[in-house]
Amino acid sequence: MTLVQPRPSAVERLAGGEPRRALLDELSKREIRRAVLTAVAVPGYQVPFASREMPVARGWGSGGLQITLAVIGSDDVLKVIDQGEDAGVNAANLRRLVADASGVATTTVAGEATVIQSRHRIPEEPMRADQLLVLQVPVPEPLRGVERDMTELRRMHAETDYARMWVSLYEDLVRNGVITQTPGYPCLVGGRYVMATTPIPRWDIPKLHRSEHLSLFGAGREKRIYAVPPHTDVEPLTFDDVPFEVEQPDGACCHRCGSGSPASAVSSFLVELPSTGGAGRWVCSDTDWCARRTEQTSRYGTAAAGGPVREHEEVGR
Amino acid sequence: MTPALQVEGLGKIYGPGGAADVAGTGPDHGRVVSPSSGGVVAAWDVSFSVGAGEALGIIGESGSGKSTVLRCICGDETPTAGSIRLACVDGGGRDLTELGASARRALRIDRLAVVYQDPAEGLDLRLSAGGNVAERLTAAGWRNFGGIRSRAAELMRRTDVPLDRMDDPVKEFSGGMRQRVQLAKALANNPPVVLLDEPTTGLDASVAAAVLDLIRDLLDELGVAAVVVSHDFSVIELLTQRALVMQHGRVVEAGLTDQLLEDPQHPYSQRLVGAARG
Amino acid sequence: MAERSEPVLQVRDLHKSFVLHAIGGRRIEALRGIDLELYPGEHVALVGSSGAGKSTLLKSIYRTYLPDRGEVWLRPDGRDPVDLLSLDERSLAARRVREIGYVSQFLRSEPRRGVLDSVTRAGRRRGLTPDDAAEAARRMLQRLGIGEALWGTFPTLLSGGEKQRVNLAAGIICPPPVLLLDEPISALDPANRDAVLELIAELTDGGTSVLAVFHDLAAIERLADRVIRLDGGRVASVGRPTDILTELTASIGAHR
Repeated sequence: MTLVQPRPSAVERLAGGEPRRALLDELSKREIRRAVLTAVAVPGYQVPFASREMPVARGWGSGGLQITLAVIGSDDVLKVIDQGEDAGVNAANLRRLVADASGVATTTVAGEATVIQSRHRIPEEPMRADQLLVLQVPVPEPLRGVERDMTELRRMHAETDYARMWVSLYEDLVRNGVITQTPGYPCLVGGRYVMATTPIPRWDIPKLHRSEHLSLFGAGREKRIYAVPPHTDVEPLTFDDVPFEVEQPDGACCHRCGSGSPASAVSSFLVELPSTGGAGRWVCSDTDWCARRTEQTSRYGTAAAGGPVREHEEVGR
Repeated sequence: MTPALQVEGLGKIYGPGGAADVAGTGPDHGRVVSPSSGGVVAAWDVSFSVGAGEALGIIGESGSGKSTVLRCICGDETPTAGSIRLACVDGGGRDLTELGASARRALRIDRLAVVYQDPAEGLDLRLSAGGNVAERLTAAGWRNFGGIRSRAAELMRRTDVPLDRMDDPVKEFSGGMRQRVQLAKALANNPPVVLLDEPTTGLDASVAAAVLDLIRDLLDELGVAAVVVSHDFSVIELLTQRALVMQHGRVVEAGLTDQLLEDPQHPYSQRLVGAARG
Repeated sequence: MAERSEPVLQVRDLHKSFVLHAIGGRRIEALRGIDLELYPGEHVALVGSSGAGKSTLLKSIYRTYLPDRGEVWLRPDGRDPVDLLSLDERSLAARRVREIGYVSQFLRSEPRRGVLDSVTRAGRRRGLTPDDAAEAARRMLQRLGIGEALWGTFPTLLSGGEKQRVNLAAGIICPPPVLLLDEPISALDPANRDAVLELIAELTDGGTSVLAVFHDLAAIERLADRVIRLDGGRVASVGRPTDILTELTASIGAHR
């Protein structure tokens, strides 16, 4: 659809330049930044904020979008993923929307970005202190599954009364023999608040623990912002004698870059490709990371032991 | 020695009015509604203490204020007047009514347990029997799954809940079984004080008798300080050594349970005993 | 009998009346100033016609009845005497466990609790270890002729005589220094009656002081060191069993 642009008025001509489409006015951005600052000051605590209408439906990343718009500056470089890929429809749309509104540069390379917005994944490549992770959160309340009453929920957080969260893990273990909850595994942040990591997989949770980077969580529909500042403890709730385990399909490896294969020194979060033949094939969820590993493999031979960009020890834990 | 539980001058008024509006209510006036304020004086000037290994009964008709007293002690209600002390909280030096709501709730984890008439009030019926016990244990900081399982199993054995039902949701349990689970949960962290509010009311006679026997054995063995609220003299007789009789929000008589039953002094106590003894 | 030592139980000016609110506050004077002493190892029997106040006196001492006024001094094992009537209820309950026991003629056994269990628990309450209590309970029941076959049954299913013996076993296991017995043999056949009387005699030989009500004059003659005859809530006479029983028989004769 093409919009019929009216002829610029005299005033507009005097003002000069093409005005940007501002999705948020400066006061709104400031209010969101204040909420972000509060969230950083109280790790894991859900700070209420006046979630604005966004040109995406609530539940489709409007919370993350508002945080990104509020904190992004003109010299930032933005990467947006949804699952692990940059090319997903929602990721591509959000990336264009932010770039259009703020004029920032975009990238798909995790190492080049200063702001990474995501829904389901944290990039495989470890993030640095100068990078910011913005996560879109559909359900910010980790205790929602065990309690519906808002007042009671607030009380439980205020009193660190997480017994019922523990009981839900207990019941899960009793019923299923394993803790089935994934994604959105509950974590204790900074030894104080239980936080919903929704909807990242368990695989990514260790990346939040004492990380170099700041993570901001935005829930547009629920009007909540929370944060994990750098170097903050993020401990998945686990019983002493039932270790926390990440999802890792047995014997699966990426059919493109070989990540996860016995020959590969690294592993990554894998997703199964739909296939008609029956035998599923696995591929890295983080397409950017996988693509650059594949590139290196083809360039330097098979010894793609490290990550694709820098030679580092290990990805994931 | 500080008694395990000490209650002094406890009062609860619902609705408008304060201590000044208590006049004109109570057994002498046959009413609990204050003539001056219209507030309901559900309980007033209730004092007693319970020592470790002792069980005190509170008996009266419905509306006599006995359950209100219990709810004020456990923190479900905020009393209008009076003090409540536990030997296990600052050696009895702290009046619980001065504590904040959160500190009061924390007491429920391992110091002050309640068994309600309605199991739904003390249990999460959606959870398994073991899960209900696990809630108490995890609240007290238990973080070992195997440890929680074995403690829950031990409590199930102790309260005669078949072990093979430990992992079934409580909502699938019969009333008597639910009450046993409630007992198991209440006793999970060995609280020194246990409050029982009509623990067998509403159960079939034979089921009630079995639950009652279980409570009797538990009180015998655990050495807890217990308060048993009931309208049923046979419950009070079986479980307690001392008792209070309440009417219209006041204690009209206090004494040894056998004395209250054999030689009640107050006209209301005589009527109650007369009705119970036929 | 050791008259020279301090009494283990001393009752002073004990009054008890009942006010029946249901019938217009009618007042019944049951005890009108009772005085008595009980010495260590002594067996004192209370006699008198029915309504004389024998049971009321026992219950008032034990405070199952709340006396109007008076004093009941308990002096267990030479320790400082304590007035049971001025004790708070919790202290009294504690004394009842270790220092003064009461066995009633009524068969108020604990509901739904096995015979052996019942008696064992009584022993445990008096401070025996679980093993000792169980052992003592078995011995006691055997002595009282309650066979092992009955040990698992609830007392409610037993005959009156059996119930009474179970009651007694629970009352005298690990006996307290003062024992109040209210017609403990009323439902027993002669053989069992003899067993019980022998046991009671052993108790007093062992230092327990007994204040008892028996209907059976032969039992009184056999066991009692002294007899107190009550009449109309007062002590009518005190003396040796033969004297009082003669007096009693004479008074019954006179009534006829």
